[in-house]
Amino acid sequence: MIRFVDATKIYSNGVVGLKNVTVKIDKGEFVFIIGASGSGKSTFLKLIMHEETPTEGEVYVNGYSVHNMPKSEVPYLRRSLGIVFQDFRLLPNKTAYDNVAFAMQIVEALPREIRRQVPLALGLVGLSKKAKAYPNQLSGGEQQRVALARALVNNPAVLIADEPTGNLDPKTSMEIMELLDEINQRGTTVIVATHEKSIVDAMKKRVITLDRGELVSDVRKGSYTNED
Amino acid sequence: MKIRTLRLLAKEGTKNVYKNKLMSFASLATVLTTLFVLGLVLLIIVNVTTNLEAQKRDLQVKFYLRVDASKLEEEEVALFIEQSRASGVVADYQYESREQAYENAKKDIKDESLMEGLTPENFAVGYFVTLTNPDSSDAFIAKLKLFSGVDSQWITYPKQELERISGLMRAFNYVALFVIFVLMIISVLLISNTIRLTVYARRKEIEIMKYVGANDWFIRFPFIIEGMIIGLLGALLSHLLTSQAYGWLKEGLNTLFNSIKLSGLQLVEFSELGVRILVVNVLFGVTIGIIGSFMSVKKHLNV
Repeated sequence: MIRFVDATKIYSNGVVGLKNVTVKIDKGEFVFIIGASGSGKSTFLKLIMHEETPTEGEVYVNGYSVHNMPKSEVPYLRRSLGIVFQDFRLLPNKTAYDNVAFAMQIVEALPREIRRQVPLALGLVGLSKKAKAYPNQLSGGEQQRVALARALVNNPAVLIADEPTGNLDPKTSMEIMELLDEINQRGTTVIVATHEKSIVDAMKKRVITLDRGELVSDVRKGSYTNED
Repeated sequence: MKIRTLRLLAKEGTKNVYKNKLMSFASLATVLTTLFVLGLVLLIIVNVTTNLEAQKRDLQVKFYLRVDASKLEEEEVALFIEQSRASGVVADYQYESREQAYENAKKDIKDESLMEGLTPENFAVGYFVTLTNPDSSDAFIAKLKLFSGVDSQWITYPKQELERISGLMRAFNYVALFVIFVLMIISVLLISNTIRLTVYARRKEIEIMKYVGANDWFIRFPFIIEGMIIGLLGALLSHLLTSQAYGWLKEGLNTLFNSIKLSGLQLVEFSELGVRILVVNVLFGVTIGIIGSFMSVKKHLNV
């Protein structure tokens, strides 16, 4: 599903993003990527979604060779992923409904299909009643739910979340996490980068720890501190 | 891309024009202003050229027959001139008979003693010919000289005047081309700069679309439609504005020309040029709108 083979990313300013990381994430897994700021969490995710390419090594995602794929194929890679960001990244002049519908429009789904799937996705994240609201009329938690619905609506094989709860209060954060867990139960691979200890500890999932770009531990049913 | 998607994106672009009101307004104002200036300059150029062209056409070949020319010789020349008009070489001509020449002379010369003893037979038949193409005067005069009836010493053509006007037109054409060229460049820069600003304000939007997996055309197309609509609106509005402004200008200048007895100068009717200027404006506005959007979006697509 996702495979890093000796992947290294050194940015043009010399900063090491990731150093010789080899890791494999299987279909249906729920994985936390943790580490301090600058540990390489974001780089790890950016390599998956081809926002960056590795300077050395190989990265395979959903059958795409991300390390040497032509630019024209990037949209297709991204369509096989659902991506959720810390800052939600919703289109400001579209309603919640239209934001979710947008993800289906770009894959040229049938209008009939869009009218059926979008309410389902919004229902799944508990936002059916706010379908007509614009992002600035929604709370942070609600915006993140819309972003989740958008990430899910095309049934991606992998869902990537970069600090999805970074801008949310603890209660809302847990709700989002429960949603991610639910999504994972339905078969979607979920990868979450975070530095929120309480969440990682509570979820008891696989935890990959990065430190200054290196993979320092990879534990099944781990916690933030990795005592076990 | 499917037709359905194209329709969706076109609708999206149209909606965006009024969803981003302020930026649309800024772009529209820029397009409007630059096209307005461009339109006025085009009008000035057309007017100057038309008037110079008219002056050139007013230059006439004047020639007289010999005073002792026979009836046959006169008829030969008359036939030649008629044929030249039929073939389009001559645009128009006036014929002055011996009698008319005599009468004219009588009118012009106040001192009657000078006219004493003169009859129409002492005057020559004259022709004042306006050529369709003033540049063909040399060839025309050469042909005239072949007729025995024509008094080759009395063929006149204001050659110097023609060369002066031609020179003026050439110079003016260069200046006009240069001015239009510079104006076009300024317009392109101004308009594309405004578009770049509006796109920059929405670069986050473009980025988001990229992350969701939209391909470049999907993102670009609505922006291009937007640019096209603004370009078109700007062109149409500037056309209205230009026609109004030109109307006032024309009225004012015509009054002025009349008051200083320059009635030979005539401003071209806007309706004669309107369609052409509209076409230029629309083509220019829409093209810049499209190209400007295309280029500006391109910069932000590399995510």
